[in-house]
Amino acid sequence: METPHTQHLSAADFEHVYEPAEDSFLLLDALEADLPFLDSLQPRLCVELGSGSGVIITALAKRLAHSSICLATDINPHACDATKRTACHNGARLDSVRCNLADALRPRSVDVLLFNPPYVVTSDEEQQQSSEVLVDNPLVYSWAGGKDGRRVTDILLQQLDDILSPRGVLYLLLLRENKPDEIIEQLVKLGFKAVKCMERRIPGEYLYILKVTRSSN
Amino acid sequence: MKLSTYNFLTSMAIKGVKVGYPLKLTITKQNVVESEFNPVFIEKLLPKLDWAALYGAAQVAECAEDIPPAQPDNIADNEALLQKLHHLLFEIDVLEGQLECPETGRVFPITDGIPNMLLNEDEV
Repeated sequence: METPHTQHLSAADFEHVYEPAEDSFLLLDALEADLPFLDSLQPRLCVELGSGSGVIITALAKRLAHSSICLATDINPHACDATKRTACHNGARLDSVRCNLADALRPRSVDVLLFNPPYVVTSDEEQQQSSEVLVDNPLVYSWAGGKDGRRVTDILLQQLDDILSPRGVLYLLLLRENKPDEIIEQLVKLGFKAVKCMERRIPGEYLYILKVTRSSN
Repeated sequence: MKLSTYNFLTSMAIKGVKVGYPLKLTITKQNVVESEFNPVFIEKLLPKLDWAALYGAAQVAECAEDIPPAQPDNIADNEALLQKLHHLLFEIDVLEGQLECPETGRVFPITDGIPNMLLNEDEV
């Protein structure tokens, strides 16, 4: 899988949009390592939630070429725009939709779901005030995760059964402080199975990628 | 926004809305972009699409004469129709327009090809 070009994004863009970093690259590497699975799945709809600059869904859209629909959502309009530009610049076919998580999508339709959530442990106040400061500082949304860095991830987990198609898969990026083992247990209770499919130490953080599928599969 | 994307959008996240589908589509500016035709993919995609919404989109995009109102059988053998579906779903790019919730009338604008489906806190 090629890492998408991002020269079209400037320092001014990265004042409003999360700049691809080690966490983004770990998610890319995990997808690349799992390509045999993705090829056998033959996904028809792939969605990245909170796509930011759009590098991850663009890389996947390019790799899947013209054999899947790829969509990106973000609540931040700058991110929706940056994602579209990244796709265009790299010749990938995908659409941006501005919405919260997968709120605007038909239920149980997503075959491949990607999420690099706001995972940084912050106070809940810091995470929740972000809804009011979105206009001035949308970047807060890209990282402030509230208690255990889990506020947004926990919402997604509760909605997962309504989002994933019967054979759908989620790749979720987590930080050690997000308590991945606790999340795996929670997913099992919700009818899923989850495995850590990749992990990596980066300066100041220890990151995991969870691969989540329905336990009936 | 491609019309394949439109087929997956709903307003059901609005409080009190039951189905929120299909959204009423209005196009004020559209582009045609070339995209590689993959007939096998189109055929595999069809069970996942809502034909009524697809047909509705074809009418709005002024391709209705190309698309039958009900999904025909044996579509795999009909390469001409698969090509027309490919054009409708992946080559028409809606740049400006709007989507409207069929139950509440809430309007979601499409600007620069991006539908804004974000709801206010008091709507969810």
